[in-house]
Amino acid sequence: MSYLRSLVNSRELLLNLIQREVRGKYKRTALGQLWSLANPIAAIIIYTFVFSFIFEIQSPVGDPSGLENYALFLVCGLLPWLFFSRVLGQGVEVIVANAGLVQKVYFPRVVLPLSLTASIFFSWVFEMGVLVLALLILQAFGLVPLLPLVLVFMFLLAVFASGLAMIASIINVYFRDMFYLLSIALQFWFYLTPILYPVSLVETQSEKLGSIPGTQIGLIDFYQLNPMETFVAIFRNLLYDNRLPSADVVFVALLWTAVTATVGFGLFAKKEKQMAELL
Amino acid sequence: MSEFAVEVKDVWKKFRLYHERNQSLKSAFVRRLTSAHEDFWALQGVSLEVSQGTTHGLIGRNGSGKSTLLKCLAKIYWPTSGDIRYHGSMASLLEVGSGFHLELSGRENIYLNGSILGMSKKVIDKKFDEIVELSGIGRFLDQPVKNYSSGMYVRLGFSIAINVEPDILVVDEVLSVGDIDFQEKSIKKFADFKEQGRTIILVSHSMSLMRELCDRVTWIDSGKVIATGKSPDVIEKYLKAQKLD
Repeated sequence: MSYLRSLVNSRELLLNLIQREVRGKYKRTALGQLWSLANPIAAIIIYTFVFSFIFEIQSPVGDPSGLENYALFLVCGLLPWLFFSRVLGQGVEVIVANAGLVQKVYFPRVVLPLSLTASIFFSWVFEMGVLVLALLILQAFGLVPLLPLVLVFMFLLAVFASGLAMIASIINVYFRDMFYLLSIALQFWFYLTPILYPVSLVETQSEKLGSIPGTQIGLIDFYQLNPMETFVAIFRNLLYDNRLPSADVVFVALLWTAVTATVGFGLFAKKEKQMAELL
Repeated sequence: MSEFAVEVKDVWKKFRLYHERNQSLKSAFVRRLTSAHEDFWALQGVSLEVSQGTTHGLIGRNGSGKSTLLKCLAKIYWPTSGDIRYHGSMASLLEVGSGFHLELSGRENIYLNGSILGMSKKVIDKKFDEIVELSGIGRFLDQPVKNYSSGMYVRLGFSIAINVEPDILVVDEVLSVGDIDFQEKSIKKFADFKEQGRTIILVSHSMSLMRELCDRVTWIDSGKVIATGKSPDVIEKYLKAQKLD
């Protein structure tokens, strides 16, 4: 608890560090913040070409929005994923990368992962703004009343992701393998999350395989243990389908968020005093 | 209110010296998470008291443990056992300019670095002109810090840190930076600091500087306090011992 209080006391530092990240990032580029759109746009073009044009994957119809567009279906899941993978991929290094600071000045170390998440969140809000605009141009007006909820779940995903990033960054202090391990794990994770394809395809395969003898548990149940599957489902519901996510999905998302945030924060509070000498 | 600004009570600090550090998963699995190491006690029961409003120096040979003690005082390391008590706010100045963002301007870095050192925006606003004036960076204020000369870089860092104005300031060998003009300015700033009743704890290898600045000095060797007392006396003893070696 006292650790929480020290965090509140350093909120000004947190704000300044976020500003440092945001302002420092696109310094000396002509396009500035627009560059944060470049990555998702490139990904959308590539994946739409490969999966929609070459493989002719059927894009699901949004219910009740009536949208039927692979690129939009893709991007509703892709943007949350890209945010998540950036937070985790950069967050894992956050203590090691700031070793100079950690070894020379005392401050609550938890501001490091939090400021990183916040600065990536800033870019994500920008990207989501563009997506919402595109959806509205395509007349998905059912989205409008859901927009506050979109923000709430964006915040929830941010907490979940920074919790995981905190855990990863502490492990990385002990074992520098974590960084490399994570970059490979994120590749597997990406394809194991229904971003490029609808989850219904996995359901079909799961039915074909049948359940484990004597139980009701099939492939799909393991597949849906993935917390990012849950988050992608929520964002697709809101953005693509324009409906409320079901209560049990929301509950699972809340549970994951609570777990990673508690463990991540707890680890930081516990390990903080040793960080300088471990580096 | 206690008459002591800082009380160090029987502080021990252990480091592990690894023969082969388990910094990869492979070696951890091979060794099953135990690694070959020796314990090294950098501080062995250090106790000292620093009175309020005094300047206290730490002297000793390289590797004597004085920097470890300083880092414990700065809350960067935590004592393995023992206790350090502060009466008042503490800020440390172990390296100038740590946390500067090279692409950002001097102005932006004053705010960033100031908040890392614990200043609020209001305080920085108030101190801003003084910081710029002391650092002497003048028209480079709005240039990215990466274009600064090493002297300017260090002067800016020092000027920010000295303006934090904590009750207790912990300083490592940083006064040797900058040209003579800047050194004089910073020594004067230290004097002002003291006049305001603030406490300074510093480490330096320059005995002349220590004699000039410090009221009292603690001599540390092999992680133990050899002597504490008025600075001329302890410094003399220390120098004598050095000559004998």
